[in-house]
Amino acid sequence: MERLLIFVETKGDRPRKVSMELLSEGQKLRTQGYAVEALVMGKASEALKQEVLPCVDRLVSLTDAVLQSYTAEGYALALANHVRSINPKLILAGATQIGRDFLPRVAVMLGAGIASDATEIRWKEDPVKIIRPVHGGRALSQVSFLNYPAIITTRPNSFPLEAQAGTPGEYVEKDAAMSVEDVKAKVVKVEEVTKGKVDVTEADVIVTGGRGMKGPENFVMLEELAALLGGVVGATRSVVDAKWRDQQDQVGKSGKTVSPKLYIAVGLSGAIHHIMGMDTSKVIVAINKDEKANIFNYADYGIVGDLFEVVPAMTQDIKKRLGK
Amino acid sequence: MNIVVLAKQVPDPEAFVEIRGDGTGLEIEPKFATNLFDEFALEEALRIREKHGGKVKVVTLGGGKATEVLRTGIAMGADEALLLDDPAFFDGDGYATALALSRAIKKDPFDIVLCGKQATDDDRGEIGPMVAQFLNLPHVGGITKLEIADGKATAESPVEGNKAVVEVPLPAVFTTAKGLNEARVPLITGVMKAMKMQIPKATPSELGLSQEELGKAGSKVRIERYLPPKKRAGVRLITGDAAEAAAEAVRILVDETRVI
Ligand SMILES: Cc1cc2nc3c(=O)[nH]c(=O)nc-3n(C[C@H](O)[C@H](O)[C@H](O)COP(=O)(O)OP(=O)(O)OC[C@H]3O[C@@H](n4cnc5c(N)ncnc54)[C@H](O)[C@@H]3O)c2cc1C
Ligand SMILES: Nc1ncnc2c1ncn2[C@@H]1O[C@H](COP(=O)(O)O)[C@@H](O)[C@H]1O
Repeated sequence: MERLLIFVETKGDRPRKVSMELLSEGQKLRTQGYAVEALVMGKASEALKQEVLPCVDRLVSLTDAVLQSYTAEGYALALANHVRSINPKLILAGATQIGRDFLPRVAVMLGAGIASDATEIRWKEDPVKIIRPVHGGRALSQVSFLNYPAIITTRPNSFPLEAQAGTPGEYVEKDAAMSVEDVKAKVVKVEEVTKGKVDVTEADVIVTGGRGMKGPENFVMLEELAALLGGVVGATRSVVDAKWRDQQDQVGKSGKTVSPKLYIAVGLSGAIHHIMGMDTSKVIVAINKDEKANIFNYADYGIVGDLFEVVPAMTQDIKKRLGK
Repeated sequence: MNIVVLAKQVPDPEAFVEIRGDGTGLEIEPKFATNLFDEFALEEALRIREKHGGKVKVVTLGGGKATEVLRTGIAMGADEALLLDDPAFFDGDGYATALALSRAIKKDPFDIVLCGKQATDDDRGEIGPMVAQFLNLPHVGGITKLEIADGKATAESPVEGNKAVVEVPLPAVFTTAKGLNEARVPLITGVMKAMKMQIPKATPSELGLSQEELGKAGSKVRIERYLPPKKRAGVRLITGDAAEAAAEAVRILVDETRVI
């Protein structure tokens, strides 16, 4: 039986959303002849076990003082050692900052191929084919591996979240048996900048404001709309460079790549650099007073109008619909 | 401080990218630019040298226009350049490319390797961590701040909403993100120097590598073909005054697309 190993990244004591997306994928593959294992760094919480175990045959938690804070060296070595002991065909992880940071090291340790930031995996084809966007999404590249094990990282929000109840797999804690010399980097401190906030890469709804917002104070309007929709606020580069919003919220070529279910682009022109970061969003709505703005070439729905009238009107309307 | 910068010439973001009829390759309009993140790497290297002394060497792997990035680096103020332009190096996956680059870095003693977080053509974002692993060195990814003191580096990198401060002994590898610095514009004297400079090259055998380990032959990932991205149907403009348009938009999002 072919084995898959899913790396479960955590946020607080829960799996990250992108990890649950992969676990949903794993749960389906379990019924198609794959043995599915998951790996988490550190002891798994009860909440994590409850979410992960129904999707897998086994969840291994690697415990070791060295793994207490994230370092690429530590995570890479621990994962590579574990792979050597269970011989999976494929290793799957979310293409998060952490996933993209340490899995290339694992690839070198194992002499394995890696396909980064995949948006689709065609499991039924032999060899398995992976689709990944290149050139900022202007083309898709279909790749396959020449040998195994191999590694795939997947873009958040690209795979459906549909894990169901199932027979729980077993939970095992394993000592990673690392030594302090294995890790040369030392984490001095980790500052929580945005406590508990959902990252733009994992948000289902993003309301992004551009320079048309006129000033940082007007983003309250977008915060309100985003909060109603269970989403977060994104920003264009101009807005970040003007210090109206944080760098972490920048969408685009030099910021983050996002694929939410709904992307509302407000007062932004739709420069190609921005489009590169949001073109894979499922539904795109643009609000701009200039009917020639490039964003309309990439949107599903467009409103030509003054954002200072349209956005509050939409917020009122949604409130009414939601009965708030 | 001997600092090596890995830099790549990539198609300009505005260049047309088309998929060849049979899907086997891409036709890209020949407009090029230095990979955005590599400009930050070059700039940071120069700032470190200005503060601590030493040399900055720019390395690239690629043919044709690839050399331009080395000239940009020299024009900005780098001291040395190295070009890997033997066709055996080309068309590799991250693994084969990182192997070649790590050997090129090792040719001379070094303290710091800086490279971009991601090349905006292949969008792999693999080379930095892979090079670090090939060299058996620590790395810090996507840094937004770097301080060097007493043979150690302290780097800041944002990790999923948090900011990590990480200390590494040198030598070490860093990949650069936006926010680290603002790259300088080369002075005309630098540009003149860069134009005249003879660029040294290294061959696979000089790096102790065989053809089988390099480029396509040494790759573990095969690109089978290119596909067009999903096309949108074209925008549906919602008309009416602001209140009407807003109400209609909300209706569509709730009742038709069901995303709310
Ligand atoms: C190498 C490189 C990398 C880059 N990376 C990124 C990136 O990652 N992300 C990014 O976003 N950009 C990036 N950029 C910048 C990008 O090219 C654009 O400059 C930027 O996206 C423009 O931001 P904007 O749309 O907010 O501003 P503008 O282009 O100024 O657009 C403002 C828009 O608001 C509209 N508007 C104004 N007032 C109103 C109103 N009252 N109601 C409705 N609409 C209104 C205007 O019609 C206009 O279309 C990059 C650029 C380069 C060169
Ligand atoms: N062919 C190359 N020559 C020199 N540096 C490269 C090359 N390819 C990638 N790099 C460096 O590695 C970084 C990440 O690239 P990538 O992993 O290809 O996305 C880039 O920003 C460059 O600094």
